[in-house]
Amino acid sequence: MSAQPTAERGARSRLMEVVLLYAGCALGALVISGLIVEAVGADWSTVGGALLNGSVLKPGRWGGTIGVTIPLAMVAIGTIISTKVGLVNIGQEGQLLVGAAFATYFSTRVPGPGPFVLIVVLAAGVVGGALWSGLAGGLRYWRKVPEVLTTLLLVSVASNLVGYGLKHHWLLLDAEAKLGNRNLVSEQLPPDTRLPRITMWGNDFPISAVLAVCLVLLVGWMLSRTLWGYRLTVVGHNRKVARRFGISESAQGMIAMLASGGFAGLAGAFMLTGGDFANYRMVSGFSVSIGWVGLLVALVANNRALAVIPMAFVFASLRTGSGFLASTGIERRVTDVVQGLIVLALLLPPAIMFIGERRRALAAARSRV
Amino acid sequence: MKMLIGLVVPDSGSIFVDGASVRIADPVAAASLGIGMVHQHFSLVEALTVWENVALGDSGRLSQTGVRNAVGELSERYGLRIDPDARVADLPVGLRQRVEILKCLRREPDILIFDEPTSVLTPEESEDLFHSLRGVVEQEGRSVALVSHKLTEMLEVTDRVTIMRNGLVVDRYMTADADAGMLARAMVGRDVRLRSTEVSEAIPDMHAGDDGATPGVDGPVLEFRKIEVREPGGSMELDDLTFSLKPGEILGLAGVEGNGQRVIADLLSGLRRPSSGEILVDGVEVDVSQAGAALRAGIAVIPEDRHDSGIVLEMSVAENLMLSDQSGMATRGIINGAALAVAASDLIDRFSIMCTGPDALMWTLSGGNQQRVVLAREITADPAVLVAAQPTRGLDVGAIEYMTDQLRRVARSGVGILLISSELDEILELADRIVVVFMGQVTGEMARSEANREKIGRLMGGDLL
Amino acid sequence: MGGLISVVWDVASTDSAYTAAARFAVVLAFAATGEWVAERAGTLNISVEAMILAGAFAAAMGYHTTGSVAVGLACGTVAGAMVASVQAEMSHRLTADQFVVGLTLNILVLGVVGFLGSEWEPSTRTASVVEIPLLVDVPLVGPALFGQPWPFYLIYLVVPLCAWLVHRTRWGLEVRSVGENPQAADVSGIDVNRRRRQSIYLGGLTAGLGGGYLLLGQVGRFDPGIVAGRGFIALVAVIFGGWTLRGAIFGCLLFGSVLSFRLTLPGLGYELNNEMLSSLPALVTIVAMALFAHAVRQPEALARPFIRGLK
Repeated sequence: MSAQPTAERGARSRLMEVVLLYAGCALGALVISGLIVEAVGADWSTVGGALLNGSVLKPGRWGGTIGVTIPLAMVAIGTIISTKVGLVNIGQEGQLLVGAAFATYFSTRVPGPGPFVLIVVLAAGVVGGALWSGLAGGLRYWRKVPEVLTTLLLVSVASNLVGYGLKHHWLLLDAEAKLGNRNLVSEQLPPDTRLPRITMWGNDFPISAVLAVCLVLLVGWMLSRTLWGYRLTVVGHNRKVARRFGISESAQGMIAMLASGGFAGLAGAFMLTGGDFANYRMVSGFSVSIGWVGLLVALVANNRALAVIPMAFVFASLRTGSGFLASTGIERRVTDVVQGLIVLALLLPPAIMFIGERRRALAAARSRV
Repeated sequence: MKMLIGLVVPDSGSIFVDGASVRIADPVAAASLGIGMVHQHFSLVEALTVWENVALGDSGRLSQTGVRNAVGELSERYGLRIDPDARVADLPVGLRQRVEILKCLRREPDILIFDEPTSVLTPEESEDLFHSLRGVVEQEGRSVALVSHKLTEMLEVTDRVTIMRNGLVVDRYMTADADAGMLARAMVGRDVRLRSTEVSEAIPDMHAGDDGATPGVDGPVLEFRKIEVREPGGSMELDDLTFSLKPGEILGLAGVEGNGQRVIADLLSGLRRPSSGEILVDGVEVDVSQAGAALRAGIAVIPEDRHDSGIVLEMSVAENLMLSDQSGMATRGIINGAALAVAASDLIDRFSIMCTGPDALMWTLSGGNQQRVVLAREITADPAVLVAAQPTRGLDVGAIEYMTDQLRRVARSGVGILLISSELDEILELADRIVVVFMGQVTGEMARSEANREKIGRLMGGDLL
Repeated sequence: MGGLISVVWDVASTDSAYTAAARFAVVLAFAATGEWVAERAGTLNISVEAMILAGAFAAAMGYHTTGSVAVGLACGTVAGAMVASVQAEMSHRLTADQFVVGLTLNILVLGVVGFLGSEWEPSTRTASVVEIPLLVDVPLVGPALFGQPWPFYLIYLVVPLCAWLVHRTRWGLEVRSVGENPQAADVSGIDVNRRRRQSIYLGGLTAGLGGGYLLLGQVGRFDPGIVAGRGFIALVAVIFGGWTLRGAIFGCLLFGSVLSFRLTLPGLGYELNNEMLSSLPALVTIVAMALFAHAVRQPEALARPFIRGLK
């Protein structure tokens, strides 16, 4: 009986430790960001205030932040799936682009009522993203090419491909746009194939927000409670054990890779149909680093599905908040710095905790022997 | 042992070298104190050449000619011939041990530690090794510490014996005053059935009489027919290998380590595929290259290296236990958490697995308890064949006794057991029938009653009967 | 097909094509050489892109402040090493995942450099061309290899130096063993993670120098997009070269030539597909790896962290 309260207290103090560690590291990142801001002659408190105003405080702003949160969360949840099976997919930026391109291609070519076209467009996004990641997955399992490299390399191929598509009418270029006038955009989505927007307290955001939350929760539940998630985890930790117990590494890996790219592609389709990016058109540089940042969200969430939503919102806030920086006389790129520092700082706690846990485990093992 | 070469630093207490208390923080410090170690698992970098490996861990300027000359001179002096420019990856196990020994001797150590050196050698090669070691001790005045769990080895070659149990020294003897019974008692802390030569050779075929399932009545439960396995490079790992296993029988697969035993276990775990030949279970051919096919056919495996292919360290005990029956623990793809916890707790009790509960992560368990998890899972999968690869390696004498009892019990229930072991004593004690492999080929097969150490030893070295 | 051959022939007989190829290739070679050392020690270091960028920016600031190319290059080298220090300490001391750290660094450095660059706006120019007498007169390749701004010639020092370090010194032997079998290296008394950190630092130095050269030897004006994936191409060149330095340098030359096509072709009057050419290094690498990945022996412990007592 006496052992239990001690154990409980131990757990509580450990939790405190973890919270303090995270808080300390995040604070460190903010302090360094503040110092950088001061170094270029601006005032950190006005910059911070402008960021908060631009992202959530001023009327109508948090709706826009949610609009950015959606694709970030989709990319991140996809990344968690591929990480679970032990693959390093770092090509979400490219997968997102290809997904968006597929979505664009079908958006003006499929006949039928608006909602039906919308579903086709979203599905096309998933297929496009999955195709791009599947390429890397296929090379990984049939030709043993490391997926880290192929996913990365396919990003540049994807952006070149989309650039090519935006120069040709038979692919993505708007029929109205003239070649050579440097206005490389696709045709705008007709209103009835756009995602409906929800209006709430003066803010509005696309309905895909609800869908995104459901998907994140669903994937989180599936990873921890279903045989599928169990099998992914086994493969991710020990391929030989998986093989012996009838879990095919390549099958599980391909499924995870396709799902991962599919979510990135869906993020692209959501961006196209949601209205918070590029005004319902495909443009060059359409992805605006959402793929990269979504990947960071997954990292910072330490591959826990539930942490994805708040983390995606924080990163989205940095982006939307930067719109209000012009008045403070500081370059909006400062948010890139803050973002990078936060990610770097939040990589520390898990690493430090791992080292601590190992030390404890070794001590325990020694006392047991 | 790891303390002596600085891989682990003691929490308290002192180590004395030549009468002076020392602190060994890392392997470099150990080397400078004159302590050298020949590891059980070699510390060689396969992609490098022999001389590069020998030079590894030295300090000062790297001189290729200097190191190569030293290698030549040393191998002359100790009769351990080797080509300094060969790549270690191309060398057989016995020669790799030579490289390891040369690497050690080049540091001119005063104290030389050998960790289970004979597990990769034939009895004959072991004799040679011990002969060289005698020379090192008597002519050059170096000390040699031999770490081994083989009682016969201890009795034959050592001057003094220290016995450890659970990290404590329990006894010290002059070898001349000791006998096998005393050592074994000291190792376990109580009387144990002995697996020494006298005992195992004195009682021929201990199971033939009292076993429920008599071998030889039914057809074979497992059969290898002309199995060939080629390395990716092209060299033969298994060559025309044929043997069969009957229900209720313990078949001992003897051989020096690295002669194909690992490949056989891998085949039966579905980790490798044969280049030609057939594997039959209950007379039906099994395509082991399909993931899980071997398991479905009823082959259970206690792997040689459980961390490598036996358990998932990062998952819980319960999740590790459900590996063999995944769909049984789920309905429509959703894992039934409550049922899983109950089933796992039951196994934890039945096999006395020491852990904080079904949710304990596997890496928090001790090696012996991890092995019990493997055993529990494999036995309860209701197999037709149980492959036990080096099942007692790394366990203390008490845990060995538990393991051997379990294996006998399982055999009695009618399961065919393939016991792969590089320890002749283990095979002589447990097996009903013995197959000897050398370079991936069967060099001999005999009933336990016809076997003796010398005969098997010759076959292990490649002599055909 | 015939058309393609004639294009290649035309390009191959143009002086300026070689010069352009050499200029592309040498930036890659600076980065790839250090990257090669890091990979031999077992780190697949993807922050090389950030190292080059930091090097270019620091070189710009150094030159802007002092007006000296040499100081600029030195600043660039140090900046590369600073990025390396984050990568090395976080991945090989704090056991954070090396790809995660690398990726984060790429984004962080881009942010920092983009921000500071637009705040400070360093003004720079390219270093003057120094021709090596006699050698520069060799037809076709002479001007490309011996008629370049002087920082170019540092490559002739960096590559042999790194080759010597890795293949001839004890440090190099230890680096190789650490990349092949860290457990064995550890029991032989080598501080595995220390060697890995050092190799990353070396990678940072050469990549930073490469960034400095890129700015002061070629582009002359700082822009956050200046590196444009060269770091990734350098990383790929190492793999393409099968983890030998000779192969990596060959890869750099090959990719350098491909990239130079973009500059050379319009001058010769050919229509070109810019997207196709930009994708070519990535595509060539993917195809080459798909064909040869299983045949090439990579350092056994590449991209596997080492923690004593864990596999």
